[in-house]
Amino acid sequence: MSSEPIERRVSYLGDRLMGRRCRICGKEYFEVKDYCGNCGRKSFGKMADIDLFYEKGKLEICTLVNEPTNKFTKFGSYIYGIVSFHDSKIHVPGRLTDRLTKCDEEIDFSAFEGKEVVPRFRRRYSVDRGDVIPTISLAFTLAEEYYPHQKYAIIKPSKEYDTPGIVGYGVYISRFRIKEGNIERSVPFIDEDAITAAVEAGKLALIHSGVDGSLVGKVYVGSESNPYAVKPIASKVAQVLKLGESDEDVQGVDAIDTEFACKAATSMFKDAASLVSYPKSNIQYAMIIGADNSQAAPRDCPGGELDLFVGFGGCAYIFGKHDVIAEIEGWYSCTSDTPDFWRRDGEPYPMHGGRFTGDPAYFKHVRKSAGKLMERLNLQVGDINYFVAHQPNVQFPVKIAKELGFKEEQYLPSLQVAKFGNTYSGSSPVGLAAVLDVAKPDERILVVSYGSGAGSDAYSLVTTSQILNKRERQKLTVKYQSENPFLEYVDYTTYRRLKLGM
Amino acid sequence: MQNRPAIVAVGRTKFGEHYEKEPEKLIEEAWLKASKDADVERKNLEACYLSDYFLPITNKLGLEEGFLSELTELHVPMEVTRSFSSALSNACNAIQAGKYNIVLVGGIEKMTDRWDKIRDDLMLLEDPWSYYAGCTPEANHELMLRAYIKKHGIKGENIEKLNTALAQVSVKNHLHAMKNEHAQYQRKITVEQVLNARKEAHKPLGIYDYAPISDGAATLILTSEDVAKKFTDKAVYILGASSATDYLTFPARNNMTHFLVAEIAMKNALKMAGINLWDMQIVELYDQSTVMEMISLEDLGFCESGKAWRSIYESCKDYKGYYEIDGKKLFVNMNGGLKADGNPLGATGGAQVFEVFRQLRDEAGERQVKSDKELRYGCILELEGFGTKGYVYIFGRNKK
Repeated sequence: MSSEPIERRVSYLGDRLMGRRCRICGKEYFEVKDYCGNCGRKSFGKMADIDLFYEKGKLEICTLVNEPTNKFTKFGSYIYGIVSFHDSKIHVPGRLTDRLTKCDEEIDFSAFEGKEVVPRFRRRYSVDRGDVIPTISLAFTLAEEYYPHQKYAIIKPSKEYDTPGIVGYGVYISRFRIKEGNIERSVPFIDEDAITAAVEAGKLALIHSGVDGSLVGKVYVGSESNPYAVKPIASKVAQVLKLGESDEDVQGVDAIDTEFACKAATSMFKDAASLVSYPKSNIQYAMIIGADNSQAAPRDCPGGELDLFVGFGGCAYIFGKHDVIAEIEGWYSCTSDTPDFWRRDGEPYPMHGGRFTGDPAYFKHVRKSAGKLMERLNLQVGDINYFVAHQPNVQFPVKIAKELGFKEEQYLPSLQVAKFGNTYSGSSPVGLAAVLDVAKPDERILVVSYGSGAGSDAYSLVTTSQILNKRERQKLTVKYQSENPFLEYVDYTTYRRLKLGM
Repeated sequence: MQNRPAIVAVGRTKFGEHYEKEPEKLIEEAWLKASKDADVERKNLEACYLSDYFLPITNKLGLEEGFLSELTELHVPMEVTRSFSSALSNACNAIQAGKYNIVLVGGIEKMTDRWDKIRDDLMLLEDPWSYYAGCTPEANHELMLRAYIKKHGIKGENIEKLNTALAQVSVKNHLHAMKNEHAQYQRKITVEQVLNARKEAHKPLGIYDYAPISDGAATLILTSEDVAKKFTDKAVYILGASSATDYLTFPARNNMTHFLVAEIAMKNALKMAGINLWDMQIVELYDQSTVMEMISLEDLGFCESGKAWRSIYESCKDYKGYYEIDGKKLFVNMNGGLKADGNPLGATGGAQVFEVFRQLRDEAGERQVKSDKELRYGCILELEGFGTKGYVYIFGRNKK
């Protein structure tokens, strides 16, 4: 059994890497100290909050751990060392993550020492299944590899729009892939899950939008692979990303998890847009995240067909009325009680209804919401520049796009399933992000999600001129993550082990 | 200094894997041996100062004092601390203050009872944040070595010499332990074995570079200067004693290439004893790893910073039983050190004192050092955690 109070205190400091700096002598501490050891009593009230969450550090020295302590055995071997920040004013211990290290690997430590590293929010170590999941950001990756360091600069908005829309977004896909035939799928590292992916995506959305996190009044996290049956992912996101105003160790933000299979996130777009538009809500921005470590039974088990398509990742959107990059023109949602895909409480993997997931489920609902929205907005296929659909496999989104009359140039830019697999709640949001990465101002995007159970949300978005300026702020685009030279491909056994996690 | 504490007797168990014994049995054995050594009886004891690093964790044993009371039928004051040196420190203070005249100091550890979880326990106690980040008890030693190599710009051929020197530390300690009937490993090892173990582990340090986990107990009987004469005319006096404390989190310390606590404790202990560093010929160092032995030689002042490995390397080419440092002889870890004698944390310091006591009284048998001059002074360095606390004691045979 773990101690929940200890867990809370360790992750409160460790998730964000919080500390204090003495305003008198400049000494820094990886600890929320009320006074400085050098300056003593006179430093009370003169300690400034610092955190290392968006910083980059330097790996000073390192060694190989190939016989870890018990809670770390699932990592196998890893590089462990000491990381400095702020010109060596502060040193923290850390392990390198996102690296499959063999226990008999000859490692030249000097090749790593001196390298820039980025703190990553991850699971800390393994615990019993019933315990609280420990997390920490004392896990690092090399800045020169897959995940570059990006500054988080808060940028004052220059324009308020009449219509709410997307202000910024972030896509986080892990470094690992499994390649089978023509399809590549993202695989989490062993310390990743839907929680860590949600935080990563939210962090990237803040960086892209330049929005002050303290102005985010609500965060929704849609997922169907929350490792907890009861305990929200959104609370972790709010705490780690410091959303809403911080008052002591509590955030002034509303945080909620949503679930509706793969449309748990897209369903909330209209809620977020409405919330930021309601003058008395006092909410300037709302964040929506879709994140999944998409679940699938092993291939030879019932439900194992899904194992050919599932991916891992998260996608976050910030909605507001300031510096909007894509305005919401309208939406249409539909729902019916159709049991095409489900997972009973306590079951590790979902089941699905085979061919029943096609015509009576996916196609019927996507067709309905897309058609109704186009009808309402009086849109023809030619008025729409990009079509984005939910992507459970390669065939479905292509088939519905063609059926609705869209041409390849309209639907191909959003099609990411062959690169990342089905990221469940993140699927159509990632497709939308891929389009926003390349869209020009004043282009219309039709995004249609699908969630088993079943329902679909269709949105029509129109890009603004600000889409171009903000693009420069994000290095981790969809393309960057799908064509990255540092991708690491794993075999089926490793994929299952990593996906199972700790 | 007035009323120097005097050690009149010592006792210890063999260190090793005592699966069949309860912890109380070990401390009983060590106490009985010390009792016999100077013919001290239970009723003579006015207080007991005990140490165990984590018996409440390994053996789910709370209030060890109560167990000892049941065992000895003693109802005197008893206090428990974490290391033998800290227990000894409290005992010294009480003797010097004139509160007691005869006390028992004992240390005990039973690590093999929790062999499968011991590394987690050790690491979490030693440095929680490093543990959370994935550190192991061994990794800190390896990082210290990396930092040492970088700081002193050791390169090429010298790296090989440094690595050999560290292997020689282990070989030398095993050699010493062959003459120690209490030692956990009374067998010879070779430099090749140490180097191969590193190679097999694919790491800078291997299994032969580290002290083992051990069970064991050690005791001593400490008296006031006057009372000592009733028991022995060969009492060993504590001339200097000091300790220092440093951060728990190793990466947060200013200097990662040495143990500040060892440096401070030694300076203060020397001042207290009123002797010079090189008046001492015998030293028991806290070699949890071969790196620690090397670095401690520097921290205590016997070698210049960054140069200990050279002295070790040169001394061990043709080892004569001592390190030769700038032409001077230093007998280091004659009992085999933590590496070969064993390292039952709470009792380890007791074994260190045991060795210096025997050596200064010329009672170390086969392993008695052969010094050119009269052997008068010796010292021990004991650390707690990864250099979070450091204790130095200076012992003298003859009253100055």
